[in-house]
Amino acid sequence: MTRTWQITRALMVAGLLETVRRKDVYVVLILSALLTLGAAAFRVFGVQGLEIFVKDVAFSAVGIMSTVLTILIAARQIPEELQRRTIYPLMARPITRGQLLLGKWVTATLTAGVAFLLLALANLVLLVSLGITLKPIFVQYLLLKLLGIAWLSALVIALSVYLTPPATITIALILAFGSGAFGRLLLMAHWEHGLDALWLNLLYGILPHYDYFDMSKKVVFDWDLAPWGVLLAMAGYAVLSSTAWLFVGWLRFRKQTL
Amino acid sequence: MHPIEVRNLVVAYRRWFKPPLRAVDGLSFEVRAGEIVGFLGVNGAGKTSTIKTLMGFQPPTAGEVRLFGMQATDARARRLVGFLPETALYSPYLTPYETLRLYGELHGLRGRQLKAQIEALLEMVNLAHKMHTLNKHLSKGMLQRVGIAQALLGDPQLLILDEVSSGLDPIGKRELRDLLAAQRQRGTTIFFSSHELAEVASICDRILVIHKGKLIAEHRLDELVGRVQSLEDYFIRTVQAERDILGKEVQAA
Repeated sequence: MTRTWQITRALMVAGLLETVRRKDVYVVLILSALLTLGAAAFRVFGVQGLEIFVKDVAFSAVGIMSTVLTILIAARQIPEELQRRTIYPLMARPITRGQLLLGKWVTATLTAGVAFLLLALANLVLLVSLGITLKPIFVQYLLLKLLGIAWLSALVIALSVYLTPPATITIALILAFGSGAFGRLLLMAHWEHGLDALWLNLLYGILPHYDYFDMSKKVVFDWDLAPWGVLLAMAGYAVLSSTAWLFVGWLRFRKQTL
Repeated sequence: MHPIEVRNLVVAYRRWFKPPLRAVDGLSFEVRAGEIVGFLGVNGAGKTSTIKTLMGFQPPTAGEVRLFGMQATDARARRLVGFLPETALYSPYLTPYETLRLYGELHGLRGRQLKAQIEALLEMVNLAHKMHTLNKHLSKGMLQRVGIAQALLGDPQLLILDEVSSGLDPIGKRELRDLLAAQRQRGTTIFFSSHELAEVASICDRILVIHKGKLIAEHRLDELVGRVQSLEDYFIRTVQAERDILGKEVQAA
């Protein structure tokens, strides 16, 4: 375990340095702040009661940006090593492919997680400076989103060992943003037509659900704290599901010709 | 137990609607401790496939590959091995120091021991003055020196070098030759592929020549002295003779 941790830590430090020097996180930060400020600018035109609108724009921006960033960061972890051929000096060390996969997942999760926290905290400061306050459910939102980032990183890393980088990014984006839409469509089908076909429910259960990790609307509409048991259950889902994704990725990566 | 033992190695690549391509076809050889062995062959002869299998980057289709008695696919086998790939673009966003720290930590080194080793190696490859410059600002030759330094991390007992002098200028090649000679003095076993036959002739104890994935010649260099005009001449004649034999076999079939 100590050895695996040493490997993970080494990859993590290098990964963080790379991300900081690539500067894409800064672009996302600036873009997100501009969106929130843009929404707040409606005050200039005398529009009143904008709090909910501004919060909605701010949290949508954070959600979209952090999801895209997570996908981009995770999708490049292994393919970029292969493309640059830096996988050779990496795998020439006494490390297993499983250790590399795990290290890359932790690196992606940590890097995307830090980027998300920066985004969320920058938006919090911006909202507070605009006189908009948030309820304690914001803390639960942060925790759940961090779990979601770990889960999404595992899914993307698993996809990246089977598919080309553009295909990985496209499918990951569809799954990340489409899972919520599919859930809502199913709900509408239930409401409108009383449709409760077993296969639809099965499909809903099988599909990956990144939307489970999003509490942004509850923050926007100032909900009270959710029961901590729910968060614990989500943590369980994230751990089990991430393990499954990483295992699927490892099945292919362990035999892959480098 | 030799540093490298290869027995009946076959590496085949699957192809759609075609029979598998046998890049390596029943190759057997061994490299003894302290030897410097040159691995020669024309492009597509199977050198890189063999080296990839040695390093565990590719599982053998058949046969056996052992490093210090352990299966090459076993990560522990690489603890005593240093490897320099033909081309590797080290992360453009890291410095040579950070690059070596990453590989050193993956190797199991840490703390002051690692720091001292990185500094000594960068000094050895004449990159000490660039150790905190991002790799993206280094020339191809400098990156190759970073590669040489990473291959020497952890004091390996076996060095496997693929196209060892690619990207180096004449001075760099000379320095590399001196470096390999110094490694030989330390008793390091070296196995390398190269197209630079003058370089091979100057540092090798033994050569292996492969063609179409098969070993076609194996000689100690001192056996060839006086018998051939130059190693280049010998290599071309050997490969040409093999091509003629294969051509006749195809015609007869």
